[in-house]
Amino acid sequence: MTTPSLAPFIQKRPWLMNWMRPLSKWYFDNAGYRKLGLRADDLIPEESETVQLALKRLPPKEAYDRVFRMRRAFQCSLAHQLLPQAEWTKAEQDYQYLTPIIEEIEAEASEREDLESMIIKKKTAATRQSGDQIAGKH
Amino acid sequence: MLSRSAARSAARQSWQQQRRGLAAPASGSFSYNIGESGGVKVASRDIPGPIGSLALVSQAGTRYQTVPGLAEGLNRYAFKNTDRRTSLRIQRESELLGATIQAYHSRENVVLRAKFFRDDLPYFVEMLAEVATRTSYRTHVMQEEVLPMIRMDQQKYLGNTLAMAVNSAHGLAFHRGLGVPVNPASSTPTTKYLTAESLEEYAQSAYAKPSFAIVGNGVDHGELQKWVGEFFSDAPAQPLQSLTSPQSKYHGGEERIAHGAGNSMVIAFPGSSTPAGSFYKPEVAVLTALLGGQSSIKWSPGFSLLSNATQDAPNMHIATKSLIYSDAGLLAIELSGSGNDIRSTASRVVEALKSVGQGISKENFAKAKALAKFKELEYGQETTAAMELTGHGLVHGNKAYQIDEVAKSIDNVTEDQVKQIVKEALENKASVSAVGDLYLLPYAEELGLKV
Repeated sequence: MTTPSLAPFIQKRPWLMNWMRPLSKWYFDNAGYRKLGLRADDLIPEESETVQLALKRLPPKEAYDRVFRMRRAFQCSLAHQLLPQAEWTKAEQDYQYLTPIIEEIEAEASEREDLESMIIKKKTAATRQSGDQIAGKH
Repeated sequence: MLSRSAARSAARQSWQQQRRGLAAPASGSFSYNIGESGGVKVASRDIPGPIGSLALVSQAGTRYQTVPGLAEGLNRYAFKNTDRRTSLRIQRESELLGATIQAYHSRENVVLRAKFFRDDLPYFVEMLAEVATRTSYRTHVMQEEVLPMIRMDQQKYLGNTLAMAVNSAHGLAFHRGLGVPVNPASSTPTTKYLTAESLEEYAQSAYAKPSFAIVGNGVDHGELQKWVGEFFSDAPAQPLQSLTSPQSKYHGGEERIAHGAGNSMVIAFPGSSTPAGSFYKPEVAVLTALLGGQSSIKWSPGFSLLSNATQDAPNMHIATKSLIYSDAGLLAIELSGSGNDIRSTASRVVEALKSVGQGISKENFAKAKALAKFKELEYGQETTAAMELTGHGLVHGNKAYQIDEVAKSIDNVTEDQVKQIVKEALENKASVSAVGDLYLLPYAEELGLKV
C-alpha cells in the first residue's frame, strides 16, 4: 500500500534533495529495521488484496529472500537482540522491490475505474482519426 | 411434374451462370491485390460493404515452434498488455468501436484477426502492429491469464476423442513438423518450455517482417499499404531465429489410444497441398466431395458415397476432409460415435473408397465436382475467406489464394485423376488412428488397409 509522501516534492528539487539527503540517511539508519536485516518494502502492510497480488507476482528468488528476512527479524525480535553489524541491511541493498509492482497494480485498478466511469463523446467527422476517438477521463 | 425440357433449360441456365466471370458482378475485385509496404507483405481485396477485416498471418504455428506450446502461447498472449496500452484498454477501445478481435493458431500459422467498420482501418492496423511488435511478455501475465487458458485447452482436448484422433493421424503421417499436435495434451510438459522469456524470443521471430503478412478484406489497398508502412516500421527486419521446417514427408502407420469418453477413428491418406503450394492436386477436393459423409441438403443423406454406405448408423458423425498445408496435405475420413457403429461401418467406408478406384458413375462425379466448386467459391465469398491461406502463401512464395483459379482448376479434374489418387492411396501406407474402446474399434488390417 502506498502512503502519501513528501518524497516526490523533494526529489523534483535538486537543491532540496541535497539538503535532505543526510537527514534521510540519519533517519533510516535510526529507524531500526535495517539492524534487523529488513528492507523498507518489507514493512508495507500486506493485509490488502493489492499487496497480496503484488506478493504473488514477486519473482521466486525475491519471494524467498523476503520470507527469509522476515523470519530472521522475527527471531531477533523474540530474542531481544539485533543482528551482528555485518549483517545489517546496507543502504544500497534497501531498494524498492515491491513498490513498483504495487504501483503497477494500482495503476491497473485506477485505469479500470476510469474506463468504467468514462463518458463517451459522439465522434464527429472532423475528429475521426486513429487512436484519439476515445476520450478517457484522464 | 417437371418436363424434361424444363429440366434441361434449368441445367443450361446454371451452366451459363457458372461460365460468367466470377468477378464480373461486383464493383470491387474478387481477387487479391498483392503488394509490399516497408518490407511487409500485404494482400487485400476491396469487397464492397461496410465491414472490413484484417488479419496478421504469422508463420508461427505448431509446425515451426522451437519448443512445445509456443504457438498456443503466442495465440493466447495476443492482445494482452503492450508497452503503450493495457489489455483492458485494448478490449474496451475495440468494444467501443464495435469491432471483434480474435486470435487463433493452426498447424502452420498464428493468426490475429480484427473485423471492424471500414473507417476504423488505421486504428486496427496500429493495434495489430502494437500487438506484434510492442507486446510486453511478463511472467505474471503468463501465470495469471495465459497458462490457465492453456490448461483449459488441454482439458478440453483430453475430452475430445475426434481431435485426438486427428492429431494422432497427423503424427503418424508426418512425424515431426506437421505431425506436432496442434493442441498440446495435458501430459505435454508445457510449463517446462513455455515461459515469458521463451515466448518473447519466439515473438521476435514470429513477428519479424519476413515471417508474417497482412491480409485485408473489404479495405482499400492503397490505404492499407500506407498504414502498414507507417505502423509496422518497428518490426524487426530479420527473425531472431529463422522459422523453417524441412519438406514434409509422408510416413503412415497405425496408432490406437484407449479412451473412456468416446470413440473416434480417423483414416487418412496423402492429400493435396494448398493451391499456393507445389503439391496442389484439385482432384483431392473432388474426391473429398465425392466421399463426403455430410449432406448439404435437408431430408436426404445426399449423394455422397460415405453417407450412403453408413445409412444404418445415422447417429454417427462421418466426414471426409481435405486438410491442406503449404507442402503436403491429408485426405482424412473421420468417424466418431458409438464403438459398435464405427466397428460395423468402417469396413463399408473402405469398400466405398475401393469402389471409387474401380469406377465412378458419371452423375456422382458431376455432383461431386459441382459441390467441390461450390464449397471453394462459398469459402471465397465470405469476408474471412482464405485469409490464412493467402497470408501463408505470401510468406512462402508471394502467392495469394486466388479463388477464381482454384475454381477453374477444379473444373478441369477428370475421372481418371480421381481414380489415380484412390489407387495410390490404397497401394501405399494409410495413417489410421483409433481412439476409444479398443475392444470394439477395428484394426486397419481388418479393414483391408495397408499400414
